[in-house]
Amino acid sequence: MAVLQVAAPADPRLRVDLAVMTEHTQGTDTVPVADETEAQRRERFERDALQYVDQLYSAAMRMARNPADAEDLVQEAYTKAYSAFHQYKPGTNLKAWLYRILTNTYINLYRKRQREPLRTGNDTVEDWQMAKAAQHTPAGLRSAEVEALDHLPDSDVKDALQSITEEFRLAVYFVDVEGFPYKEAAEILGVPIGTVMSRLHRGRKQLRELLADYAHARGIGAAAKSGGATKPGAEKK
Amino acid sequence: MGDCQSLGDCDDKRIVRLYEYLDGALSLQDLTEVKAHLEHCAECTEEYDLECIIRSVVRRSCQENAPETLKSKIITRISEIRVESGHA
Repeated sequence: MAVLQVAAPADPRLRVDLAVMTEHTQGTDTVPVADETEAQRRERFERDALQYVDQLYSAAMRMARNPADAEDLVQEAYTKAYSAFHQYKPGTNLKAWLYRILTNTYINLYRKRQREPLRTGNDTVEDWQMAKAAQHTPAGLRSAEVEALDHLPDSDVKDALQSITEEFRLAVYFVDVEGFPYKEAAEILGVPIGTVMSRLHRGRKQLRELLADYAHARGIGAAAKSGGATKPGAEKK
Repeated sequence: MGDCQSLGDCDDKRIVRLYEYLDGALSLQDLTEVKAHLEHCAECTEEYDLECIIRSVVRRSCQENAPETLKSKIITRISEIRVESGHA
């Protein structure tokens, strides 16, 4: 009955340092890292690490609240990553390593600067929506609305994601969007696996309720129920 | 939740089970169990479909392209680091 990955949340090895992220064999090593010149290291960094710039930016957009801050965050993270690149073990999961640095950068630097309640300051979810969301059953959506969800504009989905509690949001992002297993998400977020799982559960629940509200607000639910003839109104894509 | 007891004794547990199933976090035995249950339980299948759709919608919506200039900005900053530290 036990979930395989919940082996031992208290295990200190789960709180892994940057240098020892999960092993992934990739093969192609050229010059041993220790013997690398600065130019070779830089070339390796640009070749291997910079390919994830869109993905890191996408994650940063879920952390920061606007493109300019997201861009700053990614730049800062890459700068740190480069400075610490000698600690990165070739053959381990570079993307996860970069995400970990991005997350740390965000938590240590950017969020402190922000100094505002995490849930407010965003014009996306009105109070009435939050109140309404609280009344939903866990599922939040009726079966007729399930398929209709697919037609929600990206902006609604992003707003919904942005509106859930931040620590839940990052867990949802790394597991559901990026597809990391619990263990790697735990390493990226620097928390035990059990914490990731509970954040995931609560985050998904919040997200589901919010998406249900967006679907309702756009009349998608009603349209789907009455046969789907009505197109959702003004999309703000 | 009627005959869904095998997945958990309340709504919340049942959903967690489905989440774990989708996350690939179940043991082979549990996985087989959930799979078998989904074959005959319309309610859980609906729940499962909903979760699948939510994930695909969220994944689709979160894809961003970094600004064109970001890569070159990063490269510039990295080269500054090299100059500052000045050793291999």
